[in-house]
Amino acid sequence: MSNLNVKATAQNTYDAIVVGSGISGGWAAKELTEKGLKVLLLERGRNIEHIKDYTTAMKKPWEFEHRGKLTEAQKESHPVQKRDYPYTEFNESFWVNDHDCPYTEVKRFDWYRGFHVGGKSLMWGRQSYRFSDMNFEDNLKDGHGVDWPIRYKDIAPWYDYVEKFAGISGQAENWPTLPDGQFLPPMELNCVEKEVKKRIEAKWNKSRIMTIGRTANLTVEHGGRGKCQYRNLCSRGCPFGAYFSTQSSTLPAAVATGNLTLRPFSLVNSIIYDKETQKAKGVVVIDSETMETTEYFAKIVFVNGSTLGTTFILLNSTSDEFPDGLGNGSGQLGHNLMDHHFRCGANGRIEGFDDKYTYGKRANGIYIPRYRNVGNDKRDYLRGFGYQGGGSRGNWHADVAELAFGGDFKDQMTVPGAWTMGLGGFGESLPYYENKVFIDKSKKDKWGQPVLAIDCEFKDNERKMRVDMMNDAAEMLEAAGAKDVKTFDNGSAPGMAIHEMGTARMGHDPKTSVLNKWNQMHEVKNVFVTDGSCMGSAACQNPSLTYMALTARACDFAVSELKKGNL
Amino acid sequence: MNRREAVRSVAFLMGGALSATTIGVFLESCNSTSTKSTGSLFTEDQQKLITEVADIIIPTTSSPGAKAAGVGPFIAMMLKDCYPEEAQKVFVKGLEDLEQQARDGYKKTFIELTVPQRQELLGKLRDATVAATKVEKEKLEELEKQKTDPEKAKSQTENTGTISILPKDKPKMEPRFFSIIRDLTLLGYFTSEIGATQAYSFVEIPGRYDGCVDLKPGQKVWS
Repeated sequence: MSNLNVKATAQNTYDAIVVGSGISGGWAAKELTEKGLKVLLLERGRNIEHIKDYTTAMKKPWEFEHRGKLTEAQKESHPVQKRDYPYTEFNESFWVNDHDCPYTEVKRFDWYRGFHVGGKSLMWGRQSYRFSDMNFEDNLKDGHGVDWPIRYKDIAPWYDYVEKFAGISGQAENWPTLPDGQFLPPMELNCVEKEVKKRIEAKWNKSRIMTIGRTANLTVEHGGRGKCQYRNLCSRGCPFGAYFSTQSSTLPAAVATGNLTLRPFSLVNSIIYDKETQKAKGVVVIDSETMETTEYFAKIVFVNGSTLGTTFILLNSTSDEFPDGLGNGSGQLGHNLMDHHFRCGANGRIEGFDDKYTYGKRANGIYIPRYRNVGNDKRDYLRGFGYQGGGSRGNWHADVAELAFGGDFKDQMTVPGAWTMGLGGFGESLPYYENKVFIDKSKKDKWGQPVLAIDCEFKDNERKMRVDMMNDAAEMLEAAGAKDVKTFDNGSAPGMAIHEMGTARMGHDPKTSVLNKWNQMHEVKNVFVTDGSCMGSAACQNPSLTYMALTARACDFAVSELKKGNL
Repeated sequence: MNRREAVRSVAFLMGGALSATTIGVFLESCNSTSTKSTGSLFTEDQQKLITEVADIIIPTTSSPGAKAAGVGPFIAMMLKDCYPEEAQKVFVKGLEDLEQQARDGYKKTFIELTVPQRQELLGKLRDATVAATKVEKEKLEELEKQKTDPEKAKSQTENTGTISILPKDKPKMEPRFFSIIRDLTLLGYFTSEIGATQAYSFVEIPGRYDGCVDLKPGQKVWS
């Protein structure tokens, strides 16, 4: 009997376990296997094989039965996913059935999830920006949250490292609050964007700049992957491997080492704490198809289950030593939840380019980095926002009558119409302790687990910032000569930006933070958390590139500690 | 997850020509369950009527029209799969009313009308729909104004004492027959093989991006 147990334990033992196969989990698997560790990569959902399983990627518009629209049945089974634009017929199978994985909304929180190998790396927006020292210092300066335990110099070489592998296209701007990176050639601005850029930069004497979006889309062949074909169908999966995803990039590298075991349908329920060693010894896995429970063991555990997925696992990993969740002596686990607030800005019509058009569909837009509360600029709110947007020419004509029909109308609709330019702000939200998640035992998910309750809201600082986000956009478009400038504020609920982060923050002090400067749990030294939950502040940049860099950095540290015998 | 899309208005996203009514039906949450019956919602005559109406909305010009592109059956299928029961009922009633108007005005069925007569009839229906939608929008705006009155708004805020920045629920607009059939005709036509490749210009794999090309005579919108 005991022999059998020993054998089973040996079979289920690896050097490292990585929980989750999305952007950060894929990086952890790549780095740890390349450093020679035998790694078990656990993914709660099904496998999606690169190219082969992108079943809609090459479909033509008329090959979608509902032309992208949702059926009543899909709306019924996806009451959360359908709240905003990402969930459509075009990549329907990449999103969770909300009934399988309920959660409690103490206040509205839109939780977008995909359970499959690759996670949201398949559907992500691909915008990739570095944080700057301004971002790492803001907490210390204004007293919200706790001081980041790292500065730009600590992460800069790791940004270099991950950018070189992932392939980020962009334009160097030498802009202090948005550091340049290791860029592939930038995508082109269109003629309207070039004009708007020129006028904005002239009007504000380059204290505001506009640049092409920095995106994880390849503009040239890179690392054996094909370059972007300008179809703008990324969210279906790219058959050319032209954007960074686990499947296109980190997973093949990890597999190539011969050190990786990938196990789909493996839902990690909890992490097992060993009070003798004061370390984690493994994880409890529920087979999400058969419901069978298995334990796996390793010297180190990387938790990369997405911000709230990871936080659930940690909160659900209770023991006598950690009754409130693994490594939660600080009481901060689950708190300080952040997301960006957006859906606010302006758009207008640009005249003078009626004889110009574009060719190809660029899956990228423009970026205006933060300029508010920078230097001598002081606003009635803290921190700031950046803009994303772009110029485009579709079939919109100002002179079409309402509900027009008939031959003339049809012919007009086929002719390129007005150029429009839009700017939408992405604003930083502050880390508020009371924005939190906790376990709600009154409900169970499909796998018999309790669920997460989410209690999060944007507050006064965010609301004040939105006034600037809207008015500055209109002001810049007007300065650029746009006509019919219209502002909009469509409202923003936490979760909608799908940049949720912060519920297991890094910090100097074990009393006020969950992770140290190496993304290592203060209290459980062989557990590392490198997804969005580690973030001490949100900045206003899209965060995934930072998760990649922090992951590679933490892996390097973890393996060196392992070799020193410290773990 | 193309973030640029988020900054465009919903109307841009959906091709610029869809009405508020249909956008509401597509995007709003709807608690009513769809018709579970396996058969069509429509009689054979009604199916034909849908096809003929669609072909008046998007007729053959230098490119084939809605009938050739199979838009009639597409509309019938979409109504069944993607619309709540309430809208389905309104749509069936709209078809019946259209037939009645053909009989009242011309002593014929819609199918028997000449193209100019069909256009005239749909023109009246369009005008009535525009007028009714306008009245409804004004009412909703009035309601909205009352709601956002700062005196009243304060009592609605959550425990922080600040005004919520959550998205507001889109006001539920009455489904209207003409708006629905027009929206579905445009959607169905411009995404059909004929519409996408002949009325618009379709390039499956552009291979490059050029942000500034000279507009050539006869250049169609990219599909």
